[in-house]
Amino acid sequence: MTLFHFGNCFSLAYFPYFITYKCSGLSEYNAFWRCVQAGATYLFVQLCKMLFLATFFPTWEGGAGVYDFVGEFMKATVDLADLLGLHLVMSRNAGKGEYKIMVAAMGWATAELIMSRCIPLWVGARGIEFDWKYIQMSFDSNISLVHYIAMAAVVWMFTRYDLPKSFRLPVTILLGLCVYKGFLME
Amino acid sequence: MFEEASEVLENMLKWSFPLSLVLFLVLVCPLRAEAAHEFSVYRMQQYDLQGQTYGSRNAILNTEARTVDAEVLSRRCVMVRLADFSYEKYQKALRQSAGAVVIILPQNMSTMPQDIVQQFMELEPELLATETIVPVYFALEDEELLSIYTQTQISSSSQGSSSAAEVLLHTATANGFQMVTSGAQSKAVSDWAITSLEGRLTGAGGEDLPTIVLVAHYDSFGVAPWLSYGADSNGSGVAVLLELARLFSRLYSYKRTHAGYNLLFFLSGGGKFNYQGTKRWLEDNLDHTDSSLLQDNVAFVLCLDTLGNSDNLHLHVSKPPKEGSPQHALLRELETVAAHQHPDLKFSMVHKKINLADDTLAWEHERFGIRRLPAFTLSHLESHRSPARHSIMDMRSVSSLEGLSRNTKVIAEALARVIYNLTEKVIAVLRSHQQVQEDQLASLVDWLTAQPRAAQLLDKDSSIVNTLEYYLSRYLKDVKRHLVRADKRDPEFVFYDQLKQTMNAYRVKPAIFDLLLAVCIASYLGVLYLAVQNFGLLYGFLRRVTAPRVKQH
Repeated sequence: MTLFHFGNCFSLAYFPYFITYKCSGLSEYNAFWRCVQAGATYLFVQLCKMLFLATFFPTWEGGAGVYDFVGEFMKATVDLADLLGLHLVMSRNAGKGEYKIMVAAMGWATAELIMSRCIPLWVGARGIEFDWKYIQMSFDSNISLVHYIAMAAVVWMFTRYDLPKSFRLPVTILLGLCVYKGFLME
Repeated sequence: MFEEASEVLENMLKWSFPLSLVLFLVLVCPLRAEAAHEFSVYRMQQYDLQGQTYGSRNAILNTEARTVDAEVLSRRCVMVRLADFSYEKYQKALRQSAGAVVIILPQNMSTMPQDIVQQFMELEPELLATETIVPVYFALEDEELLSIYTQTQISSSSQGSSSAAEVLLHTATANGFQMVTSGAQSKAVSDWAITSLEGRLTGAGGEDLPTIVLVAHYDSFGVAPWLSYGADSNGSGVAVLLELARLFSRLYSYKRTHAGYNLLFFLSGGGKFNYQGTKRWLEDNLDHTDSSLLQDNVAFVLCLDTLGNSDNLHLHVSKPPKEGSPQHALLRELETVAAHQHPDLKFSMVHKKINLADDTLAWEHERFGIRRLPAFTLSHLESHRSPARHSIMDMRSVSSLEGLSRNTKVIAEALARVIYNLTEKVIAVLRSHQQVQEDQLASLVDWLTAQPRAAQLLDKDSSIVNTLEYYLSRYLKDVKRHLVRADKRDPEFVFYDQLKQTMNAYRVKPAIFDLLLAVCIASYLGVLYLAVQNFGLLYGFLRRVTAPRVKQH
């Protein structure tokens, strides 16, 4: 609605990240640069995904009401690349034990915040028209922060070789759910 | 091992909780996400005539909306529906220096009861007479506009009310609307040309034939120029004139029926603005040219004005015609034809002297009368002040065509009798040639009322003027245009622009809402901070909760 509203939405979106960063002790480990690297990896992975999607999946011209299950399924599968990216970050980043997860997730989520939410907020929340969706968007970014932390943790658990067999299955299911979340919600 | 399990469970908890929060938010949020609504608004007339200013002066708008029963109206845009509109409410809005007034008209005027339509028609001249700096707009109603109106009404009427808690709740859920128009401040249009068209049919038999002039003004007038369709006034007059042109051109094309009168047809522009087109045409023809049909022998001038749907027909004269003159002959023929062939038609003569002290002239024939040309006007209206001549309510569905075609027949026959001055036998011959075509009339009226014909909207390149010129040139010879431009130093008429604008309605929240939101966000962040700081406590709690269950394995 106004700059004030923009400020509200921006703080709602950004402050949890800030709080998480400060309070999870990452700042004590000088992990800021590693977070930025994780963010750069995010950008790279998104770019590859987009190129892949654009090249191999032409626009589907089916009927408007028919939901193209197969096509969307394939597209969601490409989101596996996200998981691979997280894995890459965690394996390369030489952070300590569990902090690898936090670093990777923080960097990833912050990059996503900046790329996908800043510009709509700037353009939209500052206009005259009021819409609930900006507040929803900011809140959504909080949720995705937590989501990415969870996802990174699950990926990490998946790659642990000393994981007991009985836990493999739920971990795999959780991973699958993470990837196909968007697909399932449709 | 327990650590792994609890980690898994912890992750699951972390993941599902935000999801349920999202669902909760989506379900709780009561408002549909409506984007700004854009609609066309038509501004009230603004013009100067002979130095007098009329209408609303201003055009820009960026104000909050309210309905007319709210208490505080100053600097707000007041929205009124036609059914609730009254002059006192309008005055109230103006007194409180409202930012603007928007009157919402129904899409289909025939759904309105007749008394409301009549009342509005009578109010129109009063609206124009009070010169105001508040912009007044008219908008056509559609669903979104109606929902905006009802929401504004709810929030306006509950403003003086109740407790602080209700007010607080109200600010969170209410919706204000901000109305913004695109477009600039209105300014005078310079060098506007009013176009008039003339054409003639030359009589048989040499020079010095008497001339009959048939005149109708083709523009329309209403409180909003873009909404004035003028079906009856003066779409009917134009249709009759064009039909007469067609009939007489057919008659004149046969040698047997080629009469000894010149017929001059004139479609004048600027008629509703004190007959500017006619005035200048007369000046040019009588003062500035050496020879013109108007200077020689003019039998009479018949002006056609509002000939629509009623059972009355009046011949308005400024001087009762003398016995033996062509005007008297026409008067007599009109009476005869009306009495014998159309007994349901009531014909009478109305005598009104020209009053030069009035601001505007009453009928078009008075222009000719001032220049000493014998003239009269045919109309179904009894008085020139009738509101039907200047109303936006004058639309196609209102004017029916049986009356119009009957009137056309009466006029055509009376004219033929005067022109041919002959017996019943030849009249029978004439009847076989002349047939007033009703579907021709219908399509003419349909075309004329399909778009607004206010004088400010018709410049010399407009499609209406071009089509009229084309139509005339099919039947008449020497079709010419005649332009009137206002005098630079002492303009008789000045038109203003910005008559049609686009208005956007944006949903806005009151300022308190922002503060409320800031407080909520601050508290949320505070809670989050505490949760993250004391995360260890939460973790331990969860472990204690989940551990016994695992132990029971």
